[in-house]
Amino acid sequence: MYKAVIIGGSAGSFQVITRILSSMPPNFPLPVLLCLHRLKHVRSGFVEALSIKSTLPVIEPMDKEQIKPGRAYLAPANYHMYVELGNKIALSTEEVVNHSRPSIDLSFITAAQIYREKLIGIILSGANRDGAYGLKKVKDHGGIAIVQNPAECQVKTMTETSLKMTPVDHIFNTNDIIKYLQKVK
Amino acid sequence: MQITDLDLQYFISSIKSVSKYDLSNYSDKSLKRRLQKVLEDNSINLMTLINRMMGDRAVVEKTIRDITVNTTELFRDPTVWHLLRSRILPRFKNNKTINIWHAGCSTGQEVYSMMILLNEMDMLERAKIFASDINTDVLETAKHGVYKYRFNLNYLDNFDKVIKQNPLNFEEYNDVPYEKYFDIDKQRDTLSMKQFMVDKPIFRKHDLVTEGNIFYSKFDIILCRNVIIYFNYALQNKVFELFHSNLYPKGGLVLGMHESILGPWANKFERLGHAYVKK
Repeated sequence: MYKAVIIGGSAGSFQVITRILSSMPPNFPLPVLLCLHRLKHVRSGFVEALSIKSTLPVIEPMDKEQIKPGRAYLAPANYHMYVELGNKIALSTEEVVNHSRPSIDLSFITAAQIYREKLIGIILSGANRDGAYGLKKVKDHGGIAIVQNPAECQVKTMTETSLKMTPVDHIFNTNDIIKYLQKVK
Repeated sequence: MQITDLDLQYFISSIKSVSKYDLSNYSDKSLKRRLQKVLEDNSINLMTLINRMMGDRAVVEKTIRDITVNTTELFRDPTVWHLLRSRILPRFKNNKTINIWHAGCSTGQEVYSMMILLNEMDMLERAKIFASDINTDVLETAKHGVYKYRFNLNYLDNFDKVIKQNPLNFEEYNDVPYEKYFDIDKQRDTLSMKQFMVDKPIFRKHDLVTEGNIFYSKFDIILCRNVIIYFNYALQNKVFELFHSNLYPKGGLVLGMHESILGPWANKFERLGHAYVKK
């Protein structure tokens, strides 16, 4: 019934995302889009680090790559990652947004426009406000908005800003995010 | 201010009606964002912008300049430059001339990076360097070869990785001084390419979408990096056709790190690392 899951995270989200990816059912029926901030100069190694424990293949997609279920698409370093009509990835080197490229807001906004009420958006630990507006857009289009419990976050700014900006469907600890995703269809 | 599909169509057809620019096959998500930014930066609505464009050709030109993306760096993605150095450029080592086209060269850092590499490989004198962009502002910067030092500071690291070090042999180290190619003035915050660098390339305004090859020459290498991400799939294929027909056999095509030939043109090229070679 859903078409995609999109996850945004920044400082303090690496371990959380690793745990989530290691617990995904291997036949997960949806694509997972990952927009995670990282150091601009660390361009390689990140996808490998995430792949080690992930049950889903983790891909840094090429521009216009077809989005397929059961795969995790990681926004490549130094590119914004959009979702386009025809269920394709589109990349961009436009200026940074919220001091970030990739920007979580941009990925969430474009995914919300394409998948509308069939999108699950999740915001994890992070030190800036990028992602908060994007999660609001997911909600505005009728999708499901989830934030990691700020009490559990290493850095709360991103989740707290998200909660201020939009009423969310769930505030979950990592374990509950994992349980929730097990049941997603 | 949210731009709808209808707004975007209206904008595209307005530009088309008063100029030769055709944005209809641009990647719609990026184009929407760019248009939104132009409206926000100028604090105007879409109708006002379109009315101004209708009355003044200069506004069309400025809008085209404003919607294009001009991100570029010295030796962006060192792995690509390693590939050029170790596997692509050596193929042309014995050529009498080497024609290189930077399609979508932006402010020119990539053009100068290539010239530095060619010079270190003793190939610069035989090279003809062509560079083009749709945006005349960035071309002016490219022609002058003067950049803000602090914006380019981080990329000197890339210069070291590509020019001074050899990834295939860690014991090798060429201590090439920056001053061989450009002068740094920290007080004025400038990084200026040397005169012999600036004098060489031929820079021309060019629209990849509506114009063919404007240089009356075929090419050994075409670099077009992070340009076609702003085009839709159909237009990407049209550009690949243009590149294919203007490359010499065995000519090299270098795209951005996350750009690839996905469609029918894929089997007309062979992969060489991140790059392509015309069959």
